Amino acid sequence: MPLNIDWQQILLHLLNFVILFAGLWLLLYKPVKKFMRERQAKYEKMDADAHKKSAEAEEKRAEYEKKLAAADAEIEEKRAAARKEMDAYEAMRKHASEEEAASVLASARESAAREKERAVADARSEIAGLVTSATEKLVLHESASEAYDEFLDAAERGEGEDGK
Amino acid sequence: MTKKQLGVFLGVVLPVIALLIVGIVFTNGLYERDATIQETMQDAILHEGDKISLFGLMVNPGLISAYIVTGVILLFAAAVRIFAIPRFKTVPGKFQLVIEGAVGMFDNMARTNSPHKNNFLGAYIFAAGAYIFIGTLFELVGVPWQTAAGMSVTLPAPLSDINGAIALGCLTYVFILVGGITSTRVRGLGRTLKEFSLPISMSFRLFGALLSGMLVTELVYYYLALSFVLPVVVGVLFTVMHALVQAYVLATLTALVYGEVTEPYHKKTKQPKQSRQQKQSQEVKV
Repeated sequence: MPLNIDWQQILLHLLNFVILFAGLWLLLYKPVKKFMRERQAKYEKMDADAHKKSAEAEEKRAEYEKKLAAADAEIEEKRAAARKEMDAYEAMRKHASEEEAASVLASARESAAREKERAVADARSEIAGLVTSATEKLVLHESASEAYDEFLDAAERGEGEDGK
Repeated sequence: MTKKQLGVFLGVVLPVIALLIVGIVFTNGLYERDATIQETMQDAILHEGDKISLFGLMVNPGLISAYIVTGVILLFAAAVRIFAIPRFKTVPGKFQLVIEGAVGMFDNMARTNSPHKNNFLGAYIFAAGAYIFIGTLFELVGVPWQTAAGMSVTLPAPLSDINGAIALGCLTYVFILVGGITSTRVRGLGRTLKEFSLPISMSFRLFGALLSGMLVTELVYYYLALSFVLPVVVGVLFTVMHALVQAYVLATLTALVYGEVTEPYHKKTKQPKQSRQQKQSQEVKV
């Protein structure tokens, strides 16, 4: 054959390369590729998990925001109700205090009137007493000076007996 | 470097160089050339005078090189499989990075060039690339071997033997053919047969490229005067670069042609032909 081409040697070369291909595939290529594929799958899983968690967190955040908005509305509603209730209560208290003030005022007036009446009555009775005593003094003035004289006489007599 | 260190360095290196030159000059006459440069070149191509006996078979030195290279690669692969791969980590170290880089590069090449079918393609071009690259670098080692005639011969690159190059080229063609038939049946067969020049071009490209490197190296070493400094440049240019380029070219070509023949057939939807009157009416509208 030209160029020293030898079919037997070509077949020997082929056998050599087939053995090399099979050996490299089994010993190196396949295990390394398997390792790389598993690592890639692991990272893809981690990535998917992270995405899933992120989506869940986002969903929860949206849910919380929604709840927060609802809570705000509820708080506002309750605040309005409380304000309304407070206004009503205030009005009621005002009304009650007005009523109480009116009743206090009425009783005070009544009491004052009673006091006035009593004071007037007392004053009348005192005036009557004064008038009576003044009258008595005027009436009994003569008898009193006589009695005084008798007292003095009695006192003089009492000294004389003691001297004996 | 201090002056003292420089003095010691020069004091050792310069006498060694001088002694080597003297030795080379004095021993040059001891060796007689048994062949002219033409005969050496012819032997490098045809291997007619340096056959080696392999279990009684007379074979070219390239076949012995091929078996040694295969043995070395398989031994390395077995060592990696046993000692390194079980210790592979999720965050790779330097060695793991090199191995993963090599496998990943060929796998990626297979997937990008042949997206429809690439089960064994990556493994095949990985094996072919490793074989070409390490086989070509094997030439630099210069393993001596005894020929059947009792002479000493330095083992060449496996693919500088034309039988090795033809074997790889033809096997690649058969691999593509099988891939084409298994994926698209008759259409794949037809597509592969259309590329009938592929095994010849692949074989002779490999053979020519690697042989040229070997011939230049032979030429350089034939003359004593060219044996200084120049082999470093020649070694890099014609061996390392060839090793890289040829491995890459064969892997890329194989992946490309494999991708072409395994591509699924899509029926083209024919547009109904327009009548002359319709065309004329469209032109008038325009």
